[in-house]
Amino acid sequence: MKQMILRDIHKIYNASKPNAFHALKAINIEIETGEIVILKGVSGSGKSTLLSLMGGLSKPSSGDMIVEEENIAKLPDILSSRYRHEKIGFIFQSFNLLNGLSVEQNVQAPLMLSHLSHTHIDEKVMRALDIANIAHKKRQRVSDLSGGEKQRCAIARALVMNPPIILADEPTANLDTHNSRLFIEMLDTFKALGKTVVVATHDVLFEEAKAIDRYIHMKDGEIIP
Amino acid sequence: MFPKNLSEYAIVLLLKDKADHLFSFLIFTFIVTLLSAVLFVSDAIQSDLKVATLFQPDIVVENTLAGRAYTLSEEDKEAIESLRGVTAVEGAVDGYYYFAQGRVWFHVIGDSSLRLGAMRVGSGVYTAIKAWHYEDQFNFFTPKGKITLNIEQIESKATNLLCNDVIYMHPANARAVLDLGMEHYSKLYVTVPNPNEVGELTLKIVETLPYVKATSKEEILANYQHLFYYKGGVFMILYLVCMVSFLILLKNQISLVYGEKKKEIAILRSIGYGIKDIIAIKFIQNSTVALSAFLSGVGIAYLYVFFFQAPLLRSIFLGSELEHSVEFTPIMDMNMLFLLFIFSVIPFLACVILPSWKIAIADMSEAVR
Repeated sequence: MKQMILRDIHKIYNASKPNAFHALKAINIEIETGEIVILKGVSGSGKSTLLSLMGGLSKPSSGDMIVEEENIAKLPDILSSRYRHEKIGFIFQSFNLLNGLSVEQNVQAPLMLSHLSHTHIDEKVMRALDIANIAHKKRQRVSDLSGGEKQRCAIARALVMNPPIILADEPTANLDTHNSRLFIEMLDTFKALGKTVVVATHDVLFEEAKAIDRYIHMKDGEIIP
Repeated sequence: MFPKNLSEYAIVLLLKDKADHLFSFLIFTFIVTLLSAVLFVSDAIQSDLKVATLFQPDIVVENTLAGRAYTLSEEDKEAIESLRGVTAVEGAVDGYYYFAQGRVWFHVIGDSSLRLGAMRVGSGVYTAIKAWHYEDQFNFFTPKGKITLNIEQIESKATNLLCNDVIYMHPANARAVLDLGMEHYSKLYVTVPNPNEVGELTLKIVETLPYVKATSKEEILANYQHLFYYKGGVFMILYLVCMVSFLILLKNQISLVYGEKKKEIAILRSIGYGIKDIIAIKFIQNSTVALSAFLSGVGIAYLYVFFFQAPLLRSIFLGSELEHSVEFTPIMDMNMLFLLFIFSVIPFLACVILPSWKIAIADMSEAVR
């Protein structure tokens, strides 16, 4: 079953201005449910832009993006936010945690939009923390964590809503080799959980991962064979 | 109004940045305290003035020439009594006595309800004479010799605003102290039962006796109110200080949103928070700060004015050579407080919510990379 279908996606920054930049050109991708896909390419090839479109962080200039039979390309903000909330778990290069809050409070963040009871919220948070192997640090402030621990906190936050899709943008760029390998091992967990995963990276360590189903190579905003 | 979990999380985020919010809270509280204190003092004074002027005559007639006070005669009194609409004219003995030891002036007023040899004094007078060891009696030194009067009563604090420097005594004693002849009066108090005729009769008195000055009760009250009015003089400087502080506060709020909070908004948006959720969080956080600062400011001002009797501020309002022992009556003008609320809390909220909304609607993909 197709989880995501991208048809003729274009993204132009500053369209109709002299400094217009064509970041993505005629992108066509189909991703199966549960598939783990690596977007490969050098910096500036358009990986992160494509990932932000898949996650509903920004909208394409043209083209269709069908996710679970819904075209997300032109959703109004309220539906686009709901899409990000329910369907997407993001893992960023710079972790994007809320400094000053504890691990637990960061992981709680997506759940606070729901009407769940505190007991249910705590259960979901604990489950996500256990999967990401960071439960032992739940009371610690994220600013006091190491890079690898911050990454695991970000993974727990991405999983807490149990979304079907995980998007990771250069997830190992700020990690040492050991922690990078731990993240790559995490892909097996994602696979076991049935998540569809798209990782934008140029880290060669990912080539060791057995869980990866497919590589998509990008260059200058285009998919290359 | 807002989902419970979202409201709780907004407070968690608020406490995360407590140092930033504490600065806003303190500045906001300071501004509200200052403005509320001025309002409270002013309202209390206006209220006390109303009490103090309740028993004022309808028209006061004085004989003044080039700013100097002269006496009025029995003929003047009879001329006013003959006017239609006037029911009574009372000759008043009123003047100033210089207390050389204390280097202050006392306002001496004749009061026929007091017995000969007795006097009733304002608390400012009592404090001034007590400093020179006068307890139950006081000696007036006149060109004709020493006059000793007994202190029978000290004026109530509610009327102290006007009576602080006043000594009431029997008119015969007052005449002796002020060296005034029996056929002469300092002022004439005119009673006019119909309030609609007061204005016209004030003019008629001046027509009948062109050398006198006639002042209606309303004019007297207006003069006093103007004297203690909070919109003039030094208060404009005070308001200017508040305005500048408030602008600094608003600028700080805007800088916060465009600075570190920009990233926070982008992170929340990336995990599924909608524009309305971001606005709700900012509204909850900043209304918590603004409301608590407003209530604290009003509370502190209330204690400062009505419990501690407004040290420093009272000297600006009640500047006098005698120490004032006015006790402010707790009065609150809810309309003015409501206006203060509207003109402080709403701009404060707007300065956070509008930039937050502007950031929330922007493309967040760059901010979270």
